Amino acid sequence: MSLFKSILRRSLGALVLAGVAAATLGSAPASAATPEEIKARGKLLVGLLTDYPPFGGTDAQQQPAGYDADVAKLMAKALGVPVELVPVTGPNRIPYLLTNKIDVLIATFGITAERQKQVLFSNPYSSLTIYVLAPKSLNIKTPEDLKPVTISVARASTQDTAISAIAPQGTQLKRFDDDATALQALISGQVQAMGASNTILAQLNKDYPQLNMEPKLTLREQANGMAFRKADTALAEFANKFIADIEKNGELSAVNQRWFGIPLTKLPPMPSF
Amino acid sequence: MNYKLDFTPVLDGLPSLLIACLGTFALALGGMVLAIIIGIGGVMLRDSRIAPVRWFIKSFVEVIRNTPFLVQIYFIYFALPLAGLRLDPTPTAIIALGINGGAYAIEIIRGGVQSIGKGQIEAGLALGLHKAQVFRLIVLKPALRAIFPSLTSQFVLLTLTTSIASAISAYELTSVAQQIETSSFRSFEVYGVVTVFYLVISWLMMRFFGMISTRYFSYPVK
Repeated sequence: MSLFKSILRRSLGALVLAGVAAATLGSAPASAATPEEIKARGKLLVGLLTDYPPFGGTDAQQQPAGYDADVAKLMAKALGVPVELVPVTGPNRIPYLLTNKIDVLIATFGITAERQKQVLFSNPYSSLTIYVLAPKSLNIKTPEDLKPVTISVARASTQDTAISAIAPQGTQLKRFDDDATALQALISGQVQAMGASNTILAQLNKDYPQLNMEPKLTLREQANGMAFRKADTALAEFANKFIADIEKNGELSAVNQRWFGIPLTKLPPMPSF
Repeated sequence: MNYKLDFTPVLDGLPSLLIACLGTFALALGGMVLAIIIGIGGVMLRDSRIAPVRWFIKSFVEVIRNTPFLVQIYFIYFALPLAGLRLDPTPTAIIALGINGGAYAIEIIRGGVQSIGKGQIEAGLALGLHKAQVFRLIVLKPALRAIFPSLTSQFVLLTLTTSIASAISAYELTSVAQQIETSSFRSFEVYGVVTVFYLVISWLMMRFFGMISTRYFSYPVK
């Protein structure tokens, strides 16, 4: 009994500490970033992926580079301030935004109903298609065929959510910290299939043609939006105007041409849930 | 920052977290057993008359102690399959933990062994004991008594290191916590509760090793 009491006492102590920290967090003033505040501060803090080329990768100097980075630079230019590119990962994207480490997420962030409860999305600025990728030799035609298959996904990604929703009970879903690690699991043969986008498929077929990968199931057509804190409505409105402007003046098409080798066709509409 | 606490997702996921604790214990226990085997075996081989064996053990200890655990676990999980050795996440984690803990155990046990007087070993041999009996009865048991607190700390650290196994999707407390966090976005609440879980796990480990110490190493020193 004394053992139980001792555990209880220590646990309560830890919870009290956690409560004090939470109270401190809760009582801090709400920090809404507006275009004016960003201009006054003198820089735009943008969170973006660095493990998801060509949307988010790194250049020869190990600096963030890609479609998202170019859009971030254009947005900072529109605000008239320099940009600071802050690398984030799939799982920590939302925490970085909600804890004020960044002003905006431009991180190949799919617009979903679940995420909309947490953040404020801009209109889409890019899109991609999410698939279950597997070797041609593997027979996958319906979600039921996934049961004996081991699948890798990036944790907290839209493909994680989508596969979790359709895969039958007992499907082995291996979650990794990012797409690069999930992809490595596929390449090294630790998994048989992967939840990934058309950009990953293109990269796979270019670098590992011997794997004979093809899309088996189309999970969703994904519209990507910039994400803001719920209170940052002014910044989100600025972003919507900015996206419309760069689509109209051809700058976004030039970014698409640079990273995907084709001009931008048309941005998808804002999804409704 | 106006953050409103909501523990509902954590409470909903509590059964999963409790079951995941068993996964953490399983990884830790497997790693510890392997670490002890490597530790004792390594100490015996470290002073081998065969030079390459000595060099191998010394190199093994240096390489493992001077590289990050994450790199080691990634090497076993991602690199070895390319050489034809494919292991699932759980065995990978146990082997990685065992190898990592074993390298530290070799050095800890070696320190204990060196604290045993040469005269005691010679006395044992003079009494007609085999070398293996001398090692087991005269060297190892008193050495383990001397180094048990250090070994306990190392094994508690090993238990906490199991959290890194989530990087290869092994089933344990941190990976389940990450799953709850990524579906609820309640980072503070999830990791706050998981912190308490790890505190309890560490404390239980300390108590467990304390009981072993009382049971096997509390005889008086003459």
